[in-house]
Amino acid sequence: MHNTADATDRPSLEAVIRVEGLAKEYRVYDKPEGLGASLRGLFHRKSRAVEALRGVDLTVNRGEFVALLGPNGAGKTTFLKLLSGIITPSRGTARVLGHVPWERADDFRRRFALVMGQRNQLWWDLPAAESFRLHKEIYRLDAARFERVRDELVDLLGVRKLILQPVRELSLGERMKLELVAALLHEPEVLFLDEPTIGLDVVAQHTIHEFLRHVQAERRTTVMLTTHYMKDVAALCERVVVITHGDILYDGSLAEIVDRFTTHKIVTLDLDEPPAPGALERFGFPCEIRGPQVVMRIDRSRIADVLPEILRGAGVRDVSVEDVPLEEIVAGLFRSGRTRPAEPAEATA
Amino acid sequence: MSSDASPTAIRSGRLAECATRLRIWWTMLAICLEERLAYRGDFILGTAMRFLPIVTQVFLWTAVFAATSRSDIAGYSKTDIVAYYLLTMVTRAFSSMPGLAGGVSRSIRDGSIKKYLVQPVDYVSFLLAARIAHKLVYYAVAILPFAVVFWICRSYFPPVPDAATIAAFVASLLLSFLLGFFMEATLGMLGFWVLEVSSIVFAYMLVQYLLSGHMFPIDMLAGIPTGIAGVDVADVVRWLPFEYTAYFPAAVWLGKVQGAELGRALAIEAAWVIVMAVACRIVWWRGTRRYSAYGG
Amino acid sequence: MGRYLSIFGTFARACLVRDMTFRANFLLECVTSLGWMSMNLAFYLLVFQFTPEIGKGTGWSREPFFAFVATGLIINSIVQALFMPSAEELTEMVRTGGLDAVLVRPLDAQFLLSMHRVDFSSFANGLVGCGLLAWALTRMDYAPPPIAWLLYPLLVVCGVAILYSFVIMLAAATILMGRNQSLYDFWFYLTNFSRYPAEIYSGPWGGPLRALCTFVIPILLVVNVPARVIAQPLVGDAWWPVVGAVAAAAAALVISRIVFQRALARYRSASS
Repeated sequence: MHNTADATDRPSLEAVIRVEGLAKEYRVYDKPEGLGASLRGLFHRKSRAVEALRGVDLTVNRGEFVALLGPNGAGKTTFLKLLSGIITPSRGTARVLGHVPWERADDFRRRFALVMGQRNQLWWDLPAAESFRLHKEIYRLDAARFERVRDELVDLLGVRKLILQPVRELSLGERMKLELVAALLHEPEVLFLDEPTIGLDVVAQHTIHEFLRHVQAERRTTVMLTTHYMKDVAALCERVVVITHGDILYDGSLAEIVDRFTTHKIVTLDLDEPPAPGALERFGFPCEIRGPQVVMRIDRSRIADVLPEILRGAGVRDVSVEDVPLEEIVAGLFRSGRTRPAEPAEATA
Repeated sequence: MSSDASPTAIRSGRLAECATRLRIWWTMLAICLEERLAYRGDFILGTAMRFLPIVTQVFLWTAVFAATSRSDIAGYSKTDIVAYYLLTMVTRAFSSMPGLAGGVSRSIRDGSIKKYLVQPVDYVSFLLAARIAHKLVYYAVAILPFAVVFWICRSYFPPVPDAATIAAFVASLLLSFLLGFFMEATLGMLGFWVLEVSSIVFAYMLVQYLLSGHMFPIDMLAGIPTGIAGVDVADVVRWLPFEYTAYFPAAVWLGKVQGAELGRALAIEAAWVIVMAVACRIVWWRGTRRYSAYGG
Repeated sequence: MGRYLSIFGTFARACLVRDMTFRANFLLECVTSLGWMSMNLAFYLLVFQFTPEIGKGTGWSREPFFAFVATGLIINSIVQALFMPSAEELTEMVRTGGLDAVLVRPLDAQFLLSMHRVDFSSFANGLVGCGLLAWALTRMDYAPPPIAWLLYPLLVVCGVAILYSFVIMLAAATILMGRNQSLYDFWFYLTNFSRYPAEIYSGPWGGPLRALCTFVIPILLVVNVPARVIAQPLVGDAWWPVVGAVAAAAAALVISRIVFQRALARYRSASS
C-alpha cells in the first residue's frame, strides 16, 4: 500500500478515497450524577479519552457505492466527518480525490458533497429555489449548466413544484429530496450520505433509492452511505464496510456477508394439518409451529441432507427456503463486535 | 380517594400527596441545578461580566459630579450613587429572568410544550422550580464576587440599617423575584397567540430598562411634570410594577423610603405579584385551551 | 472578491425576502430598536438636567456628547445589522452541528459564518444616528474642518472593524466551548465601555482601566476616535488616537482571523 501513498504526486484515476491508520480520539468529561457531584464538578472535572476511530484502513475506487454499517456510536459518522474535513484526526492519513480533507482546500470542497439526514441545510423560511441559487454562487456554477442539472434532478425526484414553496411547509420526505438536489447541483464526484432515509416512509425511501442509483450510474459518482436500514443497503450497495467500536470488522460484498455470516437457512413448511408432536423436532433444529405452518432454522451445512427427509414426511403442501433476514445477520455481526476476523477482507489497493 | 375514607385517612392521604409533590419539586430542582452546572465555563464568565456595566455607570456619575457644583443629585450624594448601583445589582439578581419568556415562547413554537400537556406536571410550577434552581446556583457562585465588590466598596455605604428595614428589604427582594418571574412567564405564554414574542419581550425590557431604576434612581424623575397638575413622573412610576424589580429594594436599604410610605410601597408590590400570578394562570389556561383546539 | 460580494448579495436578498414575509415583525423590530435608543437618549437628557458637562473640562457638553452618541449609534447599527445575527446563530449551529454543513462548502468559513444573515431593522438606528449627528453639529459652536469630514468615515469603518474582530473572537470561543449562551451578553457588556467618552475613566481605578481598554482591548478607540475628530478641535496630540485606531483595526482583524482559524481546527462537531 505504501507505494501508492503519494497519491497527490501520481493521481490515480481509480482510488478516490484512500485512508491509512485513521484514528480519532475525543476528550470527554464525565458528568457525575447527583447534585453533590455536580457541585464538585464546578471546580474540578475528570476527563478521559474516547477512541471513536482506532486506526482504520480503507480504499474506495471511483464509482463504488459503499455502505458503512455499524451500531450507534461505532464511529461511522466520525469517519464521514473526517473524510469531509469537518474534524481533524488524531492520527493517520486520508486522501479524498487526492486532497487531505481537513486542509479544506476549496478545490477539494467543490468536488464532493455531504448530506446529513437529520439536519436541514436549506433555508428554512424560503423556497428551496433560493438555496439552490446560493449553491450556484458558492460553487461557481455556470448558469446554463446549473439550470440543466437542477431541472434534471428535480424531475428525477418529481419535486419540480415544491422548489417554489417555503421549505418549512414541506414534509420530511420532500425536504430530504430537495436536500439531495441541493447536494448534487455541483455534480460532486464523491457523495457522503449520513442516514439519508432516516424517518422516511417506504415510498419516499424507494424514490430516493431509484434516484441515487440512477445518478450514481450516470455520473460514476463515488458514494459512501451510512444507514440503519438494510433496505438501503440491499437496494444500493455492492460493497459493505462494517464498523464496530471504531474498527473495521468486515469489508466486502453484500453477497459475501450473507455467505460468510449466515449459518442457517429458514425453511417454511405448509402442511395439510398440524404436525404430530415430535415429528419435526427430531431433526434437532429449532422449530416454530403455528398450526399447519412450521418455520425451521436449519444449519446450512446439513440442509441438503435434511430437507429431502423432511419433505418425504406426510402432507407437505408447500415449502420455501430463505436466507436469514439481513437485519439479523448484521445484528449478529455487530454483537460479535471485538473479535476481528483474522484477515481483513479485500482491503487491497 | 374513596368517599368512605375516615378524616385521618384523608389527612394522611393529603400528607402523602404533599410529600409526592415536594419530591417532584425537589427532583426538578436537582435536575435543573445539574443542567446549569454542566456548562460552568459559560456560567462563571456570565457572572463576572454582570459587574461591568455598573463600572461604567459609576464612572459616568463620578464625571458628572466632577463637572457640577451640586453636592447631591435628587438626594443622592456621590457615594450614595455608587451604593445605589451596587444594590440594584443585588435586586436585579433576584428579579431578572434571563431567557424565561424566550424559552417559554420557543417551546410553544417548536411544540415541545406538548410534553408538559401530557405529563402530570404543572408547567408553571415546573418553570418556577427551574428558575429557583437557576437562581440558587447563580447565588452559590455569585456570592463570592459580590462579597468582594461590596467589601471593596464598603465605604460608599451608609451604616447598616435597623432590623425592621432589613426585614422590609428582604421581603421586597423575595417579592421582586416573584414579580419578575410571573411577568416574564406571562409574556412568554403570549406565544400561544403571537408567533414572535421576542419583539414584545424587547419592548418590555425597554420599559423595564428605563422605569425599573437600574439605569438611575427613580427619585431623579421627581419634578418632571406629566401634564397633570401636582403629579410628576415619579408619582406615576410608583404605581407601576417596574420599579419594584430594581429601584425599590435598593431604596429601602438606603433609607430613601421609610415609614408609612414603605408600607404602602410593599403593599403595591405584593398586589402586583398577585395580579401577575393570576394573569399568568389565566393566560396559561386560555393558551393551552386554544393550543389543543387548534392542534398546535 | 466579486464572488464573495455576489454571495453576500444573495444572503442579503434572502434575508430581505424573509423580513418582508414577516413584515409586521420587521416593523416591530424597527420600532423596538428605535425605542431602545430613545430610552438611552432620554437617560442622557436626564443626566444633562443635572450637569452642563460630563467630566470637568473635557468639552463633552450636551451637543458634542450627542454627536458622540450618534457616532456610537451608527457604528453599532452597522455591526448589529451585518454581523451580530450570524454570530448569535452560531451558538445554535455549533450545538446542532449546522456548522458541519458550512465547513464542507468551498467558501471561507469566517465569511460564511459572520455574514450569512443581515438584520435590516438594525439600520434604523443608524439612520437616526445620522439625523442626531446632523442635529448636534448644527447646534454646536464648533464647525469641523474638511479633514475631519474625510477622516470621520474612515474612522467609523475602523470602529466597525474592531467590533467585528471581537465578534469573530467570540465566535471562536463559541466553537471551542461548544456553547456560549452569554455571547450576546458579553457583547453588550463589552460595548458598554465604548458608550461613554474615554475621559470619564480617570482616577486611581479609571486610569489603568482606560489604558487597558485602549491598548490591550482597543474598545475605547471604537467610538471615541471618530467622535472626537468630528465633535472636538483637532489639536496637537489629537493625531495619535487616529493613527492608533487605524493600526488597532488592522491588528484586530489579523489576530481575530488567526484565532478563528485555530478554533476551527479544534472544532469537534456535535455527535448526531
